[in-house]
Amino acid sequence: MSSVRLVFSSDGVRALSAMRAGDRGVVVAIEARENGRVDRLLSLGVTPGARVTVLQMFPGVVFQCDQTELAVERGVADAILIGPVEGRS
Amino acid sequence: MSCHIAHEQAAAAASRLLTLRSRPLRVALVGQPNVGKSVVFGRLTGRYVTVSNYPGTTVAVTKGRSMVGAQVCDVIDTPGVNALEGTLSEDERIAREVLSGDGADVVVQIADARNLRRALMLTSQIADFDKPMVLALNMVDEAWARGISVDADALAAELQVPVVEMVAVEGRGLPELRDAIARADRPHVPALTHAVDRAAWAHSLTERVRRVSALSLAYVQEALARATRRPVTGLPILAAVLYLLYLFVGVFGAQTLVGLLEGTVFGKGINPAAIWTVDRFIPIPLVRDFLVGEYGLITMGVTYSIAIVLPVVATFFLMFGFLEDSGYIPRLAIFCDRIFRSMGLNGKAVLPMVLGLGCDTMATMTTRILGTPKERLIAILLLALGIPCSAQLATILGILGGISFAALATLFGVVLGQMFAVGWLAARVLKGERSEFILELPPIRWPRLGNLVTKTRLRVWWYLGEAVPLFLVGTALLFVLDRLHVLGLIAAAGRPIVTGLLGLPAQTAQILVMGFLRRDYGAAGLFQLAREGQLSGVQSVVALTVMTLFVPCVANFLMMVRERGLKTGLAIIGIITPIAIFTGAGLNHVLRALGVQF
Repeated sequence: MSSVRLVFSSDGVRALSAMRAGDRGVVVAIEARENGRVDRLLSLGVTPGARVTVLQMFPGVVFQCDQTELAVERGVADAILIGPVEGRS
Repeated sequence: MSCHIAHEQAAAAASRLLTLRSRPLRVALVGQPNVGKSVVFGRLTGRYVTVSNYPGTTVAVTKGRSMVGAQVCDVIDTPGVNALEGTLSEDERIAREVLSGDGADVVVQIADARNLRRALMLTSQIADFDKPMVLALNMVDEAWARGISVDADALAAELQVPVVEMVAVEGRGLPELRDAIARADRPHVPALTHAVDRAAWAHSLTERVRRVSALSLAYVQEALARATRRPVTGLPILAAVLYLLYLFVGVFGAQTLVGLLEGTVFGKGINPAAIWTVDRFIPIPLVRDFLVGEYGLITMGVTYSIAIVLPVVATFFLMFGFLEDSGYIPRLAIFCDRIFRSMGLNGKAVLPMVLGLGCDTMATMTTRILGTPKERLIAILLLALGIPCSAQLATILGILGGISFAALATLFGVVLGQMFAVGWLAARVLKGERSEFILELPPIRWPRLGNLVTKTRLRVWWYLGEAVPLFLVGTALLFVLDRLHVLGLIAAAGRPIVTGLLGLPAQTAQILVMGFLRRDYGAAGLFQLAREGQLSGVQSVVALTVMTLFVPCVANFLMMVRERGLKTGLAIIGIITPIAIFTGAGLNHVLRALGVQF
């Protein structure tokens, strides 16, 4: 079990669950809980630095991470912290 | 890597493998879920294992023989894994076991070319097992259509293992794969232990060898993928899918085809001919009855299994295979997640539940994809309790479809309500946790006709090979029991419950008992009663509700015991039986009190 945190400027970092459909960003951190959440997300490619596009927020959170489409419940989306894409105008 | 060197290496590797081995070379196919391991397995060995478009189709290990050059290989198909370390589900542990012991000499990692980054994270974990490996980039056609290209040569040079590009469903890249297996080598991967470091390594290697352009040619699939997961379009699509399923299986299969086969082919052709032949040539009345009597092998066993159940099972398997291959089923999980969560499960449980409509026994095994023991137990319980298998669905649609839509709605309403109540209670009574809902959605694809036909054909054969003989055994057993007057005893013993509580004809008792041998058998018995006009609308609904909720068939029971132990299996039966009877009794009394006629 591990908590994953990269040192990043906290500007513009928010939870995936606070984003809206169409928003893009980069995974900054995943908050750990005692149920293997981090392991499972990492193995699906949700890793620090991975690019994320939010596809929909209801009834479940669906987002694209790299080339994988993932559906998660809100509690999981709360724990995925997303920062702004670097070098975007 | 130049061609010349590659060939020399191949020769050296091949001779090394040839000289060292006194048994077949064992080649394990490993990779993320839904990347096509089973397709490659089928292509290598000529054996078909079920191929679908959702993660978790393969939950057990399958072996087959293949030739690689002059070398005989045992190819091992494994369940898909997202990881080989950390928190693993049961199917992932099964795959890990193949790698960890002495089970495999060479590992072929099958990867979805689109998802190289994730594949490499797994490569880094496979490297820890220190076995020669090959990396097969499958579905490169889909990757190209989405503007993704991978430089396989550069990747091979970095990893120092053979990298093969494939489109396995079309057989492209297979000769190259066979060639590469002989050249398999230990990957050159930095020794990393932490998943984050593995991810960082995979990320940077991916950036070096993969190019993604914004241009995608797959707009139709992407539009469909969008439409099926959004509530505004997704729910109408779900309704349309269910309605089509009803039209194709319930109307075309259960009414048109069954009518044709039972009424015309068997009713006017085969059965009269069989009766005439038997009467003419067989003098012994007992044998005559055994073949063409009330519980006759031909008039009951063959007629039931071929004329009544087969058309529905076949139409259902065809439609179901289409849905499986399209990638639609996992998308339902998004809509079901909230409901399943209140039953101690999560949206992922929609996969075994929908699969249960095909066969509850297989679905019981598929619960391995669920995260925790508690979830597996609840899913197995609910499958046994409420999910009708294809053959049962056949009789339900056949009988109630002919009565009214309200009758069908009542049955499904009661069964779903009961499942929800039991699930809700089980979630609170049972110890343990549910896992969080995190599910990968497969791309929407147009199913390949070849796979659809093969899959349906194999499932129909399975039905003919496994279910029909059991049907005949069941008929023979019924005949014997009838002759020994045991059926009468069963009916007499069950009378207080069956006629008293449930308000059904006394014969229904024996049908319920026989239903345990095979669910569809009991269901077909009800079908016969209904056809003979012995069941009123209310009685049909009550009888089918009890049958649906009632104990699963022997095969399902044995699978529950295998997966969860004898005690759990018996406990599930002990819970389900009273629920089925009391629900039926309650329904009977409510319907009668309300004066419902259907």
